[in-house]
Amino acid sequence: MARAVTTNRKIITTAVAWTIALILFFPIFWTILTSFKTEAQAINDPPLFFNFDWTLENYAVVQERSDYMKFLWNSIIIAGGSTILGILIAIPAAWSMAFVPSVRTKDILLWMLSTKMLPAVGVLYPISLIFVEFNLLDTRLGLIVVLMLINLPIIVWMLYTYFREIPGEILEAARMDGATLRDEILYVLTPMAVPGIASTLLLNFILAWNEAFWTLNLTAANAAPLTAFIASYSSPEGLFFAKLSAASTMAIAPILILGWFSQKQLVRGLTFGAVK
Amino acid sequence: MTKWLEEHMPKLVLAPSFIVVLIFVYGFIAWTAWVSLTRSRLLPRYEIDGFIQYDRLFASPRWDTAFTNLFVFGFLFIVIAMILGLILAILLDQNIRTEGAIRTIYLYPMALSMIVTGTAWKWILNPGLGLEATVRGWGFEDFTFNWLVDPDMAIYTVVIAAIWQSSGFVMALFLAGLRSVDQEIIKAAQVDGIPTWRVYTAIIIPAMAPIFLSAFIVLSHLAIKSFDLVIALTGGGPGYATDLPATYMYTMAFSRGDIGQAASSAMIMMMVVFTIVVPYLYSELRTKDD
Repeated sequence: MARAVTTNRKIITTAVAWTIALILFFPIFWTILTSFKTEAQAINDPPLFFNFDWTLENYAVVQERSDYMKFLWNSIIIAGGSTILGILIAIPAAWSMAFVPSVRTKDILLWMLSTKMLPAVGVLYPISLIFVEFNLLDTRLGLIVVLMLINLPIIVWMLYTYFREIPGEILEAARMDGATLRDEILYVLTPMAVPGIASTLLLNFILAWNEAFWTLNLTAANAAPLTAFIASYSSPEGLFFAKLSAASTMAIAPILILGWFSQKQLVRGLTFGAVK
Repeated sequence: MTKWLEEHMPKLVLAPSFIVVLIFVYGFIAWTAWVSLTRSRLLPRYEIDGFIQYDRLFASPRWDTAFTNLFVFGFLFIVIAMILGLILAILLDQNIRTEGAIRTIYLYPMALSMIVTGTAWKWILNPGLGLEATVRGWGFEDFTFNWLVDPDMAIYTVVIAAIWQSSGFVMALFLAGLRSVDQEIIKAAQVDGIPTWRVYTAIIIPAMAPIFLSAFIVLSHLAIKSFDLVIALTGGGPGYATDLPATYMYTMAFSRGDIGQAASSAMIMMMVVFTIVVPYLYSELRTKDD
């Protein structure tokens, strides 16, 4: 609702909005802050804000004990691999739905999306049996495939909403000029859809990065990504808040930074294209 | 041949996605449904034996808790997240400076895994450390906030964390809805001297009905799928007080070696999802002619 508001009111609403932002950000801020404390300072009563001795010790301990880089690398490979694979399969499907729609297109789309609503637990057991059968348990390849399958409906749907914004006349003009179907998708559609594809990539990277259900259930030592790394710190050793915080900070830092520098894509992606 | 390819290309390129979804979702659901009718324990068996697993399920007090929790958790989570999301959206719609940055911060909880942000929540909710200790430190010695360790209240800590995670997301959906309401009608109402709150309750919010519906669908499916939230915060405890159907099924399948129970609980969860989602899809399909 764009209305002329007085400067005074504007300042107040901005202040209120920022206050809420700080409250919402507090748990994240506290995690980062705690990661620089010693274990004793982390559970100090009253809580310490800035008046403690900053230390990097937790990061050293976490890296030394569980090789953070290996988990980070697994996360990057799994999230990146499943996203790219999913996009490659989804682009032709979304193209087909957006530019050569049939009477059934909307039904198929809704049906695909409806599968996202089903609880993952329903398919967990059959998938883990297949994993055992094909020796895919605790492999990155297995997780890439599963996460791709899980997120494919969302990728197709998001790409479809972006493709629909591209005027079909442009594709027709290309066809008139003798472009083949391959040229059409590769040289006309894809470049025009880059912003949409970027949002889709980012969202799916985040979804795959955060995925805990499948990664916890299907990995052990070799292919475990950062979510499993955090989980391994929170359960068996009791609660070591400072070390847990250091591990958490290292797991969220890539998303915080990536999200800040691609705010538009983050917002558009997380709202599945509803917010432009 | 080339002509045939050109003609059928749209269907051919759609086929992989279609088949993948068909097999990997529906095939597996069918498998789960089948197993839920057998006496499977540690390993799946395939001789149908009626509804024995469902009888066991409904007789189990643990399932009873998990199922009740789903509705307590789901109802509070959806209602409060929607109200907060709407308030935040109206707030951000007042031509605020630095809106982009604020919007991103509001959305951060949704972009981060609860497994990770759960660390801070454990600290905040811990009676000896977080909120309770802080408020007592301010001089309110009688202040207690020990929901995390109270079996009757622990489920509400899951509600709080879930609302924290999702209200920014709901805000973004509603903000998009607010911006799509016809500005002319709003201006006309203001010219007529209608107070702002009436403009919202009588014009803007009714015009956003479709957004309310989508937000409701997204939130309810989040509620039913909630798994890492519980695992990260309470691990289902104290006891099994904060079990949800997803964690119940997980425990049965992987710690108790009781596949039959896992399968039957998964089927019940899916039926709950269907009763919520199918009417929505149906109404979507009916309006597709416009």
